[in-house]
Amino acid sequence: MSFELREHTADVAVAADGSSLDATFAAVADGLAAAMCESVPADGGERFDCTAAAENREALLYEYLAELIYQRDVQGVLPVDNRVTIQHDDGTRTANAWQLDANARGVELATIDAREVKAVTYSEMMIEQVDDGWRAYVVLDV
Amino acid sequence: MDTYDADGITLERVEEYVWEIPQEGEMNAPARVLASEALLEEIADDMTLEQLKNSTHLPGVEKHAICMPDGHQGYGFPVGGVAGIDAENGCISPGAVGFDINCGVRMMTTNLTYADVEGHEEELVESLFANIPSGLGGGGVVESGVDTVEAILERGMDWALEEGYAVEDDLAHCEDEGRRPDADPGVVSQKAKDRGKNQIGSLGSGNHFLEVQRVTDVFRKDVADAYGLTEEQIVVLIHCGSRGLGHQVCTEYTREVEQAHPELLDRLPDKELAAAPAGSQLAAEYYGAMCAAINYAWVNRQLIMHRTREVFERVFDRSWETMEMELLYDVAHNIAKKETHEVEGEERELYVHRKGATRAFPAGHPAVPSAYRDVGQPVIIPGSMGAGSYVLRGGEASLETTFGSTAHGAGRTMSRTQAKNEFWGEDVQDELEDQKVYVKAQSGATVAEEAPGVYKDIDEVVRVSEELGIGDTVARTFPVCNIKG
Repeated sequence: MSFELREHTADVAVAADGSSLDATFAAVADGLAAAMCESVPADGGERFDCTAAAENREALLYEYLAELIYQRDVQGVLPVDNRVTIQHDDGTRTANAWQLDANARGVELATIDAREVKAVTYSEMMIEQVDDGWRAYVVLDV
Repeated sequence: MDTYDADGITLERVEEYVWEIPQEGEMNAPARVLASEALLEEIADDMTLEQLKNSTHLPGVEKHAICMPDGHQGYGFPVGGVAGIDAENGCISPGAVGFDINCGVRMMTTNLTYADVEGHEEELVESLFANIPSGLGGGGVVESGVDTVEAILERGMDWALEEGYAVEDDLAHCEDEGRRPDADPGVVSQKAKDRGKNQIGSLGSGNHFLEVQRVTDVFRKDVADAYGLTEEQIVVLIHCGSRGLGHQVCTEYTREVEQAHPELLDRLPDKELAAAPAGSQLAAEYYGAMCAAINYAWVNRQLIMHRTREVFERVFDRSWETMEMELLYDVAHNIAKKETHEVEGEERELYVHRKGATRAFPAGHPAVPSAYRDVGQPVIIPGSMGAGSYVLRGGEASLETTFGSTAHGAGRTMSRTQAKNEFWGEDVQDELEDQKVYVKAQSGATVAEEAPGVYKDIDEVVRVSEELGIGDTVARTFPVCNIKG
């Protein structure tokens, strides 16, 4: 499970991979944190839970990252050390066919040097299965 | 050169500074890039042209989708993009407005000269930085409940006037007098309001800033007189938007539109362009929510201006009225508005999407404030910390050429990651201080990402705007103090 911040003219992109879809989503979320803060403290902050649901895999990633950004603003914390569990109800195409339970450590913004990511975008978004797991690419609006 | 080949996309020169991607395949209209050859080379260097071409797949695009001279790659629709889309049979796209609804700029004039401020720069920059919220989690000038947010969403600058944060004259010098009548707070989600309640009057981060500037050049004295600008005068420029509230509105409506109108989405090459058909319930709801976020952004910039007046009062020990700190103009550059434009000889109502483009109406247009109607609408184009900014006026050819629009800035040429590799924040600050530009930021990385070297040549952007007659240069300014997130 790893991520890299990639170049984009105006914004910033995260490329991530993992042995499972759960790990890959968590790596993208850690990339979101890295896009806002270059030196995330190794400890400190309370862990908190959040959830997301959507009709497909890409929409689930969009909803998950949007939820983290929302939690950042209302709780005043940077979500780091992200953990994710995804459940997929095979055979249904409902609005909640894909569900995600996540957990993150919320580092208080007042204690760190952090900048704002405004939003997650669908632009160039990619999630694909590869031989040894999954990889994903997301552009974030800065 | 009559054609320009850019990695599979061929542009034809229609006239000087006008390049066209001809209509083909699923495109509903041609696309145009307004640029000199030097600017076109930079524009063609990333995905700008592909994103511009993609935007012509939106139903109802009239005449042509247009990229301004400062255009660059964004998400979905490029930054610097303008599209006039039929408001009856076309669509409206949240992604083609952008997440930062009513990101925009305002300029406040003063009767101070550069000589009055020299020697006070460090005190001024420290006091502005200490008093104007910026960065992530920095709060707002006003932090209150959802009721206050709803009042702001509904009434915009009227709320600021009622609460003592504005004077009548501020409203008279703001686009739409600081209030979108189509705003509907009822279709703005609780989540958006929750994000907005602690950020009212805050800069945020990224490319947003507050800058004390001095006027270095006046190019059109008659217009500058009407705008109240003279050489060596001190002015203040504020660049920011609708903060988390606007970001949440766009985030949520992009998803709602995607789910409600999959048949339209299937025709688009980029999911970020997801659009609601004109006349649909969702189009009306998004328009109401976007207009409410527009009101929020105007109040956001007003509160920052109000706080700036207070800071100047303390630093210069006199009232802001004595310093004649008056709003020159406030104009959006991320917005979609219902406007009437002439298309094929007929007056048509369009959703004019401007994403990183500034409205630039010419003299005589009824939407230009009465104080400026004889000379044209002020257009404020912020530049980098090392190159300065420009004040333009809407040009005579803007309505015909660009649905009444021009550029919004210098436009980036270098990614943020590359900028951090090439520049070190403290070095940038030291070099700027050698030029007597005092910078203070929450984050050194932000200073590196916004270093003067990451931007296009603003002089060339403005020159092309002037040559095309879409925006005429009035004055140029140079930074004195800059604060950012």
